[in-house]
Amino acid sequence: MAVVAAAAGWLLRLRAAGAEGHWRRLPGAGLARGFLHPAATVEDAAQRRQVAHFTFQPDPEPREYGQTQKMNLFQSVTSALDNSLAKDPTAVIFGEDVAFGGVFRCTVGLRDKYGKDRVFNTPLCEQGIVGFGIGIAVTGATAIAEIQFADYIFPAFDQIVNEAAKYRYRSGDLFNCGSLTIRSPWGCVGHGALYHSQSPEAFFAHCPGIKVVIPRSPFQAKGLLLSCIEDKNPCIFFEPKILYRAAAEEVPIEPYNIPLSQAEVIQEGSDVTLVAWGTQVHVIREVASMAKEKLGVSCEVIDLRTIIPWDVDTICKSVIKTGRLLISHEAPLTGGFASEISSTVQKLCRIEDYPFYKRGKQTKKSKLLGQAQWLTPVIPALWEAEEECFLNLEAPISRVCGYDTPFPHIFEPFYIPDKWKCYDALRKMINY
Amino acid sequence: MRKMLAAVSRVLSGASQKPGQIFEAYNMAALWKLPCIFICENNRYGMGTSVERAAASTDYYKRGDFIPGLRVDGMDILCVREATRFAAAYCRSGKGPILMELQTYRYHGHSMSDPGVSYRTREEIQEVRSKSDPIMLLKDRMVNSNLASVEELKEIDVEVRKEIEDAAQFATADPEPPLEELGYHIYSSDPPFEVRGANQWIKFKSVS
Repeated sequence: MAVVAAAAGWLLRLRAAGAEGHWRRLPGAGLARGFLHPAATVEDAAQRRQVAHFTFQPDPEPREYGQTQKMNLFQSVTSALDNSLAKDPTAVIFGEDVAFGGVFRCTVGLRDKYGKDRVFNTPLCEQGIVGFGIGIAVTGATAIAEIQFADYIFPAFDQIVNEAAKYRYRSGDLFNCGSLTIRSPWGCVGHGALYHSQSPEAFFAHCPGIKVVIPRSPFQAKGLLLSCIEDKNPCIFFEPKILYRAAAEEVPIEPYNIPLSQAEVIQEGSDVTLVAWGTQVHVIREVASMAKEKLGVSCEVIDLRTIIPWDVDTICKSVIKTGRLLISHEAPLTGGFASEISSTVQKLCRIEDYPFYKRGKQTKKSKLLGQAQWLTPVIPALWEAEEECFLNLEAPISRVCGYDTPFPHIFEPFYIPDKWKCYDALRKMINY
Repeated sequence: MRKMLAAVSRVLSGASQKPGQIFEAYNMAALWKLPCIFICENNRYGMGTSVERAAASTDYYKRGDFIPGLRVDGMDILCVREATRFAAAYCRSGKGPILMELQTYRYHGHSMSDPGVSYRTREEIQEVRSKSDPIMLLKDRMVNSNLASVEELKEIDVEVRKEIEDAAQFATADPEPPLEELGYHIYSSDPPFEVRGANQWIKFKSVS
């Protein structure tokens, strides 16, 4: 029943999209057409099956880091790892199948270059990989662990959450495993199904002590990965696997860093803020240009980059400017990271309404400063941004995410928050 | 012969929250011949469950499977010392990991809320305390071999008691740490990283 309804919805969208002349680029469009009109389009259906739901948009060539080379995502990861192993003699890379180059070719050539005691395979045990990585990191060496797919990170969840994240805190900074970085392919890939397409960033967002970083492009990936490796906290670096080959741009050969916990405003706008990370950034960029073209709406596109600790400042300042927020991710809607962003951005009410802080006639600033001694007197730069966020919202915050189902196989085109769903949500927000 | 550092990894028999992980560790240690001594302190109870009721095989020293294991009487100090010497020498000679099970006992309950007698008898506790207490055994041995007199040992006893009293006094009388320390060392960050508290105006700095 649900399938019929989904198919019906799909047909409607197909027709609507047909009116706008873009139906060819819909994922699975050829397939649906072939199914409905078998005589006309059988050969097209087979050809169109692999159409992606996004178009990678490369950033302009970076000029400030020296010579660049055209690299795709996995090559930029290899370059980052190469730079790390060269710079840091204690760095080691390990994981399943990394020795021959990795299932996604991210570690090609490194074993030959740096030796088998620095780039080596582990047995098939994620728990062991991360536990082993924590042990290496505690001794002070730099551990770069690879989990073959983010879907397999769950056996290591205990080690990450209970050991890695809490190591520094529980020992009062006597010990730490800060030089641990875990890399893992992440996100939908078109044919991944349940166990090769997941986006588990939300599970880790709930854990103070680790950092979770997701790049959108090769240039971002290399800079962010190098920052993660050098960061003195355990980091998880998710690499969107669909971009491994699909994304290619000019990337500097020399090492460079992109700061963590800083979101990037890719495109400035005044009417709506669109927030995403990883592959989805390219989807919302397309949505932004569609909105500009068809609705005359100017969108501000933000790539969150670091999931925790996330850049509340940038998002809130943007929402204050535009008044509308749309967050999109592939992970399921319930409990996905969009819910955290949405909740933080909308919940901020005016300080006068908060009962604890009613202390007679005082200015806002002194109210905060003169609190009971159990509050730390911090006036964050955030203060100005936080104060009025709720009141600036013109429409409820929109989240366009995956459905609350396991990641499907053949239903993937229906499941992912493609540009039509985002466009639809944006249109509803504009007309609120 | 080059001095090799042997890593010592302790696993408490009550710490069965990570049983799968220990087998993965055994596998990796044996596969790569890591110089690692796995120590299992078997105090015969995991919280309230005796090992006979929790483990299909209570011979923990055998559960290394392909890793050789030693069963050591954990109540005898000299036995533990000799066994550790042996294990360290084994590891340092490059033969790979080794497992040491120290058989010991837990007198008190697992925690303040565990009386310790609801799953075992007082007689059992008394028996171990009177027959196998490690300090008592060592004391008897030293006195019987004329290595020390009873009075000398009594002096040590008094000193130790005093040290413990002082430590307990310090622990209870010590001022509470300031609330800011709640946020310390979550992340290593320079400048200090800001952490949200229970509401948006409470901020802790993760100083590290």
